[in-house]
Amino acid sequence: MKIRKGSFRLSNGVYFKSGYTIVGKKEEDGNFSGNFDLVLKNDLWGEKSYEKAECKMHREAISGAIAKSNLTRDDVDIMLAGDLLNELSASSLAARNFPTSFLGLYNACSTFGECVLVGSMLIDGGFADIVTCSTSSHFSSAERQYRYPLELGNQRTPTAQWTVTGAGACVLSKKKPNFEDNLVKSDQVIEDMNEKDRKFILDTAVARVKYEKNHVAKVVEGTIGRVVDLGIDDESNMGAAMAPAAADTIIRHLGDFDRKIDYYDAIFTGDLGRYGKELLEYILSKEGIDLSDTYMDTGASYFKPEQQTFQGGSGAGCISTVFNGYILSKLENGALNRILVVPTGALLNKDTPLQKETIPGIAHAFVVETEKIKEKYSKKQ
Amino acid sequence: MIEREIYQEHVKKTAPKSPMMRSLIAAFVVGGIICSIGEGVKDIVKLIAPDMAKQDVGSWVSMSMIFLGAFLTAIGVYDKIGHFAGAGSIVPITGFANSVVSPAMEYNREGVFFGVCAKMFVIAGPIIVFGVVSSVLVGIIGLFL
Repeated sequence: MKIRKGSFRLSNGVYFKSGYTIVGKKEEDGNFSGNFDLVLKNDLWGEKSYEKAECKMHREAISGAIAKSNLTRDDVDIMLAGDLLNELSASSLAARNFPTSFLGLYNACSTFGECVLVGSMLIDGGFADIVTCSTSSHFSSAERQYRYPLELGNQRTPTAQWTVTGAGACVLSKKKPNFEDNLVKSDQVIEDMNEKDRKFILDTAVARVKYEKNHVAKVVEGTIGRVVDLGIDDESNMGAAMAPAAADTIIRHLGDFDRKIDYYDAIFTGDLGRYGKELLEYILSKEGIDLSDTYMDTGASYFKPEQQTFQGGSGAGCISTVFNGYILSKLENGALNRILVVPTGALLNKDTPLQKETIPGIAHAFVVETEKIKEKYSKKQ
Repeated sequence: MIEREIYQEHVKKTAPKSPMMRSLIAAFVVGGIICSIGEGVKDIVKLIAPDMAKQDVGSWVSMSMIFLGAFLTAIGVYDKIGHFAGAGSIVPITGFANSVVSPAMEYNREGVFFGVCAKMFVIAGPIIVFGVVSSVLVGIIGLFL
């Protein structure tokens, strides 16, 4: 149902049946350690190139999410996926392994938000019952595409961010997940893998995301972002380019639904980074909105300071791994009950800054609420 | 929402800056060490072949330093030096070797022809163009002097 331009409320809500994440070693060493389903020892994952490795991560993340929700790949109606590589190559090449209708989406690092918005609208409109949403990024493939060869001895600027090596996928469903769906089948995913692929997985990481699941999460509302450009032209300062877009979406969202920011237990933005986070707080404080301590930027929080990533994590895999790993678990064990997720993206390619274009940003917002599942169905996993 | 000019002004004022002093010292020290190694190579070459012409000694030094830069790039050390030293390891000839070898390694996966050969000068290309053009210009000026 349309609320106002770009903002909508779903008539029934669309449930998160499962989330699955694969990340590299550096990501596991960061602040979200222990929240990922699968950690790679080597970010090439036995492939010949980083692009192939990203594609494999993307494919396995989708397979993992499907397996974890007790479905088979034939049950999925539509796959929505995106990444940062040229012409969505990681998602497209991953999608060829599935007998499923496929929509490739691109909104840079906010693609996961776009996938969830489109997916929930498709389901709520009755066009599909089961939809997968997935995004991925890889530090080494992004470096090569957007910046310099890995071995080049250059310095990163203090405003730079570190592309997250990771893929996250979730399964959206019309039906409320029931008890059977609660059995986490992460082990199964790894068992299905061939010997060669299994070799590169960190042993300690096998199916260790365990928590008491007593809630189910569902998307209830969304605000589709606008492209906002306040004239930032420094491609190594993406936080500054994206912060106005995040602010615009949050202001519009609160206005459209006539709410105060404390309506939410927590607000998560995508990958503004430490400096971008400050800028968002600065812009919103001018509008009289105080984000306070319930606000987290997943990029800024991703890595520890000693990991030398300057502003923190970024990339399409940033919010999708944190959401499907960390945030979804917090929702499902009842620690959070109503949250606003605002993935952010900087819309540039390698040539636009050279052609003296400024960098526009975009941010999408979706609201996730939880429903308690009956006591006898909740189970320690 | 915030006005364009005010926002740009704010970003310009508050964006984190590179630590100037630390960068300068690191560049000075590492750049100095690389040049000292070059001088050392020169002395060794002179010691081995005392009769060699000055220009030939220079060529030997350049070749040795280019090899050293390429070798350190190939074993994955030069990017770490560069991360610390910045211009200190980019400006010497070892940095030039690094800027040719690193894309050659990176694009090896696209094959020898369209990968390594085509992309090798992606970063060093402008330096070579400027070098060639300015040598021609200097040559022409020298002709009339």
